[in-house]
Amino acid sequence: MSNVISASGLTLAYDNGTKEVIKDATFNIKKGEFVFITGPSGSGKSTLLKALYGAIKANEGSLVIGGIDLANVGKSKLQELRTHMGIIFQDYKLVNEWSVAKNVVLPLMIAGYSIDVQNTQAQRLLKHVKLSEHANKYPLELSGGEQQRVGVARALAKNPVVILADEPTGNLDDYSSNVIWDLMENACQQLETTVLVVTHKIPSIFSLPYRHFIIENKGVYEVH
Amino acid sequence: MKFIKNHLMFILPLMTILLGVEFYLVFDRTTDTYEKGLRDGYSMLVVTHEPASLETLQSLNAHISSSEKIKRDTIVSSIAKGVSKDAKKEIIAALPYFYTVHLDTYLDVSELNKIKEDLESHANVKRVETFGNTYGSTYRLFVFIKLVLKIFIVFMAVVSLFLIIKQMEIWKYGHRQRMQVMEIFGAPLMLRSGILFKVAIFDALFATLVTSLFFIYIKTVWAETSGIDILVQNKEALFKMSDIGILLIVALLIVIISVYTVVFTAKGEEE
Repeated sequence: MSNVISASGLTLAYDNGTKEVIKDATFNIKKGEFVFITGPSGSGKSTLLKALYGAIKANEGSLVIGGIDLANVGKSKLQELRTHMGIIFQDYKLVNEWSVAKNVVLPLMIAGYSIDVQNTQAQRLLKHVKLSEHANKYPLELSGGEQQRVGVARALAKNPVVILADEPTGNLDDYSSNVIWDLMENACQQLETTVLVVTHKIPSIFSLPYRHFIIENKGVYEVH
Repeated sequence: MKFIKNHLMFILPLMTILLGVEFYLVFDRTTDTYEKGLRDGYSMLVVTHEPASLETLQSLNAHISSSEKIKRDTIVSSIAKGVSKDAKKEIIAALPYFYTVHLDTYLDVSELNKIKEDLESHANVKRVETFGNTYGSTYRLFVFIKLVLKIFIVFMAVVSLFLIIKQMEIWKYGHRQRMQVMEIFGAPLMLRSGILFKVAIFDALFATLVTSLFFIYIKTVWAETSGIDILVQNKEALFKMSDIGILLIVALLIVIISVYTVVFTAKGEEE
């Protein structure tokens, strides 16, 4: 199976390259794989995730997603690449002045789907994350767990090739966390979506086969 | 309430700028007419030994646009009442030739003196009277009022521009979250800033409409009833339909620059 994500000699740093966070990392992730990335606080997990959606550039080495090298990608190509990604954040990053339904279909809106398609998909996605009755509410009217389910529904809206999740259950209770893990397992299993999750702890209830990378002392190592 | 406040905070300074622009246009047009009136009403007196044609006078100074001969018998009749016909004829024969000379533009005193020098350099010209002092004080007052009003308009525009920039900061804060999220999911610039453009263009249209209506009211209703001669006489200069286009272009330019400022200075998701 082909690699969806490929890193080679990857170095990520802040402050004009003076503060290295990840150094000389090499790894490959294939289509449909579920990957956990763990590590202590400040080890560079979120930095790696940001690099994966092109928010920061590699200082050295290459980082290739779907055949596109993020080191040399232009603005419009990056925008196009992002439309094939589903991104989930610890702080949800929902648009508070938009309804839940509108938040969920954001990727479809960006892709230029008609309002009818957006409405149909909003219903389907909200049913999938069990939030149908909240379609017309605003994010701040929902609990943290519900907001994160909206975030997951948004990430799944366009059947993305890759889902990137940054501490998706970091702010949630056990029940809500389990719901989120279920949704991501389903996406990986049924849609063959590659899922990459940055987390401080791998959930004990997780049932799918997965790969585990740990970031330590600037290196990215796979745990077998 | 917040929505209305947000719009008003943008529309009011924008309207102030548009009012400034329109006042400038109106003032320019009105003073043009006034300046034309001053120019047309002004004439200098040229006294010559022998009759002088307009071409001769124009060859001495290009600002001379027309000349009118003053009938000598008219002058004599008004000053030599009770004098016999023969004596009158002798007086007339001894008199030089008088001309009222008009200029093509409104000139300051130094330029009037230059014309005087040019004319007096010709042997046929006996004397030139420019009435420069009366003319000069009117001109200086006119220039002063013009300058003060223009400075005031520029000052108003600068203050309003600062208010618009301040309002942009509020917009930037209000739209930052939405624009960041849309950027993360790959929305192009136009889609991210589309709503801002829609709001700003609506505000620009609204501000243009209100400003135009204000001046149409001044032109059609207020000017008539004000009893101010200069306004009644220059009613047509108070507002022209082409002004709507000028105001709209200015308003759209301001909002486009403002929105792009918000869009390009909004922090990306990396921050």
